[in-house]
Amino acid sequence: MSTFVDRYPDEARVVRATLVVSFAALGIGAFFGLIQALHRTGYLRIIDSTDYYTVLTGHGVLLALVFTIFFLLGLFTWAVTRSLERPMPNIRLTWAWFGLSTTGAVFAAVAIVAGLFPSLDMSADVLYTFYAPLQAHPLFYIGLAMFIVGTWIAGADWFLAYRSWRSDNPDERIPLQTFMVLTTMLMWYLSTIGVAVSVVVFLIPWSFGLIETVNPLLTRTLFWYFGHPVVYFWLMPAYLMWYTILPKLAGGRLFSDPLARVVFVLFLLLSTPVGIHHQYLDPGIAEGFKFIAMTNTMFLLLPSLLTAFTVVASMEHGARQRGGEGYLSWLGSLPWRDPAFTGMALAGLMFAAGGFSGMINAGMNINYLVHNTLWVPGHFHLTVGTAVALTMMAGSYWLVPQLTGRRLYSRPIALFQVVLWFIGMVFMSNGMHRAGLLGIPRRTAEPQYQSFDFSATIGSVTELRIQMAIGGTLLFVSVVLFLFNVLLSAIEDPIEMPVDDSLPAPLSGADGSPVVLDNLRLWTAIAIVLVILAYSLPLASIVSDGGLFGESGTFPVFIEAVYWIVGVVV
Amino acid sequence: MKLTRGGVLVLVGISVPIVLELRTFLGFFDIELPLIAVAVLELLFLVGVAVAYDRLNGSRSAGS
Ligand code: HEM
Ligand SMILES: [Cu+2]
Repeated sequence: MSTFVDRYPDEARVVRATLVVSFAALGIGAFFGLIQALHRTGYLRIIDSTDYYTVLTGHGVLLALVFTIFFLLGLFTWAVTRSLERPMPNIRLTWAWFGLSTTGAVFAAVAIVAGLFPSLDMSADVLYTFYAPLQAHPLFYIGLAMFIVGTWIAGADWFLAYRSWRSDNPDERIPLQTFMVLTTMLMWYLSTIGVAVSVVVFLIPWSFGLIETVNPLLTRTLFWYFGHPVVYFWLMPAYLMWYTILPKLAGGRLFSDPLARVVFVLFLLLSTPVGIHHQYLDPGIAEGFKFIAMTNTMFLLLPSLLTAFTVVASMEHGARQRGGEGYLSWLGSLPWRDPAFTGMALAGLMFAAGGFSGMINAGMNINYLVHNTLWVPGHFHLTVGTAVALTMMAGSYWLVPQLTGRRLYSRPIALFQVVLWFIGMVFMSNGMHRAGLLGIPRRTAEPQYQSFDFSATIGSVTELRIQMAIGGTLLFVSVVLFLFNVLLSAIEDPIEMPVDDSLPAPLSGADGSPVVLDNLRLWTAIAIVLVILAYSLPLASIVSDGGLFGESGTFPVFIEAVYWIVGVVV
Repeated sequence: MKLTRGGVLVLVGISVPIVLELRTFLGFFDIELPLIAVAVLELLFLVGVAVAYDRLNGSRSAGS
């Protein structure tokens, strides 16, 4: 018997390297998260409030972009290699994208952290959304661009691997994991065009002073064109693990391979034409476009519900294989002592809760109530912060042994760690959601204004602050335990078979499903059409209103009045 | 069903915010629950779970 590292030592090395970058970002980002949680609740203030944006930018960029995406890069390389059963076509290319994206991430991180040192003339306090009018040092945008190009090359690497597999296997169905990787990357190519145009054409020249102004609404819209699909770029690696690894850990097999393919195709089609749902409160976009974005968003419920069904059905199948019985008592037969299983299952559970608050965000009118309040971080700490992050950590307990040939240092600590994350997040996200309903804003160091108090009809704001502070602290402890456990696992002695790394075939295989599902060209073409339909009119009207570079003269009326007064006085 | 240490942790972790929110819920009906009542309720709940668990499993596995 052999494991991944024995079969593909070169690939295992790259995957390990991506995980090292990913986990380093997780550690630093979580520390920033703790600082924020304690600072804005007022319990411990080790930074100056003026540095809050720097820390918040570091937190958002390092966790939401670097930790998640580097994990994805590693996971997808693993998935393509093992499901195609062949090494990467050109390992130099693989190292090249790793080097490029790592350099880019380091550039961006340096530009952000430099903001904490006043003596350095560099900062990037632009938050992870980095759109105008906030401006960062050019190094930040350049790093970002390199990072994105790195992911593009990684995608090309996987497509090349697929192509060489295809020439040897002309009539076979695409292996499921590779299918998931390819559809995700097609979505990524389509959606990163927006952010690439924004960064390369507008933000980089602007930060160098080559152009005076940018059209803020245009860069925002280009950002959100990418900003919604990026959430699926976080989520798809988690889905890949829920569909292909979780059923195995539960003791069974995936319920339906064709259904999994349908879900990934739906995400390719539906993720991009919805970004305007982040701009319900942006002036300058007509209500009608916002309404269309809302309807499109509601369609995205479908693949999510299909996933809930398939994954739970697979878990139930696993439990029944292990002797589980009854309507609900089969739940007791699941392997709850296995940290990889328990972590993923708890992550899935919290994702359901996050789905509910997500539906509220998506509703155009209710969104006005929670927009830019702490409700929003409450929501996405359940989705990306738990469904994705916890699945990645839990999955690591199963993946890392395959990549190192060493056993996990401690299963009990791992189990405790995933449960601690769950509990910490129950507290923090509950506090955040409720605080948001009271109107407490997000993204501020000082939510307590002078002579103004937020008040809760029941309970008190203090209770919510306590929940957030306790939750944030537990989460940080959980990350420390995770890193500690993985680090110690990496220096264990190598053993023969550190983990059972086989993946059983699905109950209902790909053979019975329509061949058209594997027609990636067709799905890409439809996805492009949908994007054109959703975005061409709004973009055209934004550009015609505000100018490509924002230099058209339509100021809000009051600014003209100010000019007039200044003119009269001077 | 076996109650593990992890299971107990999850139970405590979820039940605390739920009893806290019970105050919000009752608030809709103009019933104000003091914080101390929440602590007592949580305690009763956990004792209840322990007793029920003991009843269900006591006959089979003594002492574990
Ligand atoms: C140790 C665990 C964590 C703690 C204590 C924590 C805490 C916080 C807090 C308190 C905020 C709100 C700041 C504000 O609006 O003023 C926040 C924002 C945020 N968190 Fe976390 N978080 C943690 C983990 C994560 C994870 C794992 C992710 C994603 C993978 C994440 C992504 C974000 C993002 C994207 C923001 C929004 C940044 C912005 O508004 O620009 N966090 N976090
Ligand atoms: Cu969105």
